[in-house]
Amino acid sequence: MAEKFDNLEEHLEKFIENIRQMGIIVSDFQPSSQTGLNQKLNFMITGLQDVEKCRQQLNDIHVPLEAFEYIDQGRNPQLYTKECLERALAKNEQVKGKIDTMTKFKSLLITELGKVFPEEMAKYKAIHGDDPPS
Amino acid sequence: MTEIFSTLFGQSEAQGPQGPGTLGFAPGKPPPLPQTQAPAPPQIPAQPGDEGPAARKPGVMNEPFYLLRELPAGNDLTGNTNLITHYNLEHAYNKFCGKKVKEKLSNFLPELPGMIDCPGVQDGSSLRSLIEKPPVCGNSFSPLTGALLTGFRLHTGPLPEQYRLMHIQPPKKKSKHKHRHHRPQDPIPPAETPSDTDPKKKKKKRDDDPERKKKKKDKKKKKVGKVTKQKL
Repeated sequence: MAEKFDNLEEHLEKFIENIRQMGIIVSDFQPSSQTGLNQKLNFMITGLQDVEKCRQQLNDIHVPLEAFEYIDQGRNPQLYTKECLERALAKNEQVKGKIDTMTKFKSLLITELGKVFPEEMAKYKAIHGDDPPS
Repeated sequence: MTEIFSTLFGQSEAQGPQGPGTLGFAPGKPPPLPQTQAPAPPQIPAQPGDEGPAARKPGVMNEPFYLLRELPAGNDLTGNTNLITHYNLEHAYNKFCGKKVKEKLSNFLPELPGMIDCPGVQDGSSLRSLIEKPPVCGNSFSPLTGALLTGFRLHTGPLPEQYRLMHIQPPKKKSKHKHRHHRPQDPIPPAETPSDTDPKKKKKKRDDDPERKKKKKDKKKKKVGKVTKQKL
């Protein structure tokens, strides 16, 4: 799994470096630089071909669109992962609180109903079984 | 459960005013349902003391509860469990939430050239625009022939100023510390007086002083000399 990412990363790094060198050549162009520029242009095309080949291995990879928004804002996409984990933990704690509260309410309700309607509650417990007190 | 209460209290009201003992508040047998209630399904046999009709499953036919449903199937995985430990994400949590994650994109991609910390909308390099308007795909990449390469013959000389900033990287913070370390080594020029210790005045004088420029060149030569000595 990590190999296909490493492969793509390597191709992209080479491609970006090639583009950067082309930028340097073009920024102050000399006649002797023409052959080098032509070579870099063909390297760019082979680089695109290599990236295109990597595409088939990564068809099953899905990237959330929210991560793209972080990149477009110039922010670290790891912040998106961090915020996802924090939101998941907060929601987990919230739901656990609700479950605990409802469990306590249920046991209190059964206790009080047992005092007011003992026979009915005995029949109810016979149907659903004795619920352990929370 | 509330439906049980409403049926119990509703039966007592339909029968007319009665004493408090027979209203169903006290513990005991509930009063029987009047015949104006919904008709019982045929499969349920009438029994004495039975509350009456109810849509019940055959397994609970003889129970006195109305509309008592089976409890939903219990799910093993609920919010009661710590989902981060359940899915083995403790390492990821400590990595991202335990330490401080840097804000800028250049901290995530330090080797990427160019001004990547700026929003992509400013220079049209946003990923969202790529998704909304995808480029033409499907054609094969073929190398450029001699005839096609003639289109890439450029004029000599530097680029116009409007295009020059494309390859400039943001200044690295390390270089500032290096300058601060080297500043005390600079020999004090004779023209400096105590009144020149004002930083604003110093900056102006530094810009105008041609001797300062010569000293900078000397510093660079010294640095190159040190580097070659270290290599040897």
